[in-house]
Amino acid sequence: MKHSLKYVALSVIAFICTMPLIILLLLSFSKFWQFPNIFPRIFTTENWADLFVGNNNILRSFSLSAGIALPVAFISTIMGFITANFMANHKKRNQLLLLTYFPFALSPVIFAVCLRFYFIKSGLAGSYLGVAAAQLIITFPYCVIFFISFFNERIKQYGHLVNTLGGNNFYAFKKAILPAAKPFFAVCFFQCFLISWFEYGLTSIIGYGKIQTLTVTVFQYISEANIFQAALSCCLLIIPPVILLWVNKKILLQQAH
Amino acid sequence: MKKPTLIAFVAGSLLIIFAVLPLLAGLGYALLYSLGLAGTLGKGFTLENYVQLFSRNNVIGTFVYTIILSIISLSLCIFISLLITLKFQRFFSRGIMSYLVSLPLSFPAIVGAFFFFQFLSSAGLLARIFYQAGFISSITQFPNLINDKWSIGIIATQTFLSCPFFILLFVNIYRNERINEYLHLSYTLGAPKLKAAFTVAIPVMLKKALPTLLLYFIFKLGAYEIPLLLGRSTPETISVMAVRKLQRFNLADIPQGYAVAVLYAIVVALLLIVFFKINRQLHEA
Repeated sequence: MKHSLKYVALSVIAFICTMPLIILLLLSFSKFWQFPNIFPRIFTTENWADLFVGNNNILRSFSLSAGIALPVAFISTIMGFITANFMANHKKRNQLLLLTYFPFALSPVIFAVCLRFYFIKSGLAGSYLGVAAAQLIITFPYCVIFFISFFNERIKQYGHLVNTLGGNNFYAFKKAILPAAKPFFAVCFFQCFLISWFEYGLTSIIGYGKIQTLTVTVFQYISEANIFQAALSCCLLIIPPVILLWVNKKILLQQAH
Repeated sequence: MKKPTLIAFVAGSLLIIFAVLPLLAGLGYALLYSLGLAGTLGKGFTLENYVQLFSRNNVIGTFVYTIILSIISLSLCIFISLLITLKFQRFFSRGIMSYLVSLPLSFPAIVGAFFFFQFLSSAGLLARIFYQAGFISSITQFPNLINDKWSIGIIATQTFLSCPFFILLFVNIYRNERINEYLHLSYTLGAPKLKAAFTVAIPVMLKKALPTLLLYFIFKLGAYEIPLLLGRSTPETISVMAVRKLQRFNLADIPQGYAVAVLYAIVVALLLIVFFKINRQLHEA
């Protein structure tokens, strides 16, 4: 009896975790969902098929989001690794780390309204480059914080060991540090991709409504009460992270602690 | 004296360009604007914007509301996650459940808010199920759970989106700190299950997770999309208030919006200092 109760509880948890995705998928394949019907009146593939007809707004937003998130994640991962390596050996490491934590901990939307003036003055507001640069300001500190834990005493000792055995600093970096950092690169890239992919507040403020990423499009459809298109956009917003999350879950678990 | 290398120069420049400079420039501009020293409306140093914010705009109420909201949703997350970890941790460390529980982690806040709007609103899925089950006979009988007085929609969404992270975190701590062995030792020494959980397992897990909890609390203070979509116009959260004032056509509201941003930044800075102190203490211990 006790055993079956445990499995009932686990099934309830599993149901709660999967229900939103199921309902959003259901809505994305629907039309006409009038009260008090539990299920929509019409199930159709029309919404999904429309994605590939002409210059579809959602697909354009999807491409734009990917076009921003991928380079932002790549650049910030590289920059974060270099900077964390420098900071880890710096005598004022803690003070620098506090400075790095601050922009990361601030609400992106509040940070964006504070920075908007400079983006307008430099002509970057409402442009692809402006949004990507603004997102870098959020993802870069994250990468530094992420990699700073990687450059611990053990990694430093690897480098010293290579030096002791006659290898120069470049060799130590190439043969000892870089191979050890490989899984960290993957996780950091993935996390930055997610930060950029999920970003709404900062993108809408710096993008001025001209840069229609997928999150901005979802918000637009929600405002228009177009729930079926909103659900479709939500599904497209969720699917890439779901795939990436499952791929990276094991490493992510170790990083969470 | 040691000469700085090219890598050190590049890294230092990156840190200044992408972290230090935007921070100082952004917050500096907000501070100057709020003090009347910048912007088109700036007429010299004044504290008028701060005075108005405190006297007319109930900024303290906004901060208290945001803090209470964050504390409630975080407490619910901790309670649910600890309960699940203590009861079912072996199911969540590997296998299908560990994958299923990480599913909500791939939901951005805006998607979570949209889903809960469709689920909890008076014409939402829950209301329809209640209607079909005969619990209500009209749409108006369903209680207001979205844009409501008690912010149930906001709390439910934030809890749903954050719980998986804390479940994975606590499960990980449970395993790494070998809490199972401590619990078995407690049982052997005669401690009842509940007492062992409250005096051994929970304190260890909470202590280990404390820096992460504080950091998560800081993030929650800055939440924007969920309160924007599921909250009321009064009371509103800090981010919603700041953006509303800065996006308005009334130019007189802009300096007050920047003043809210400055006050928020001060709160975050203070919390970060606490976070660093706790982190250091934990590392030294």
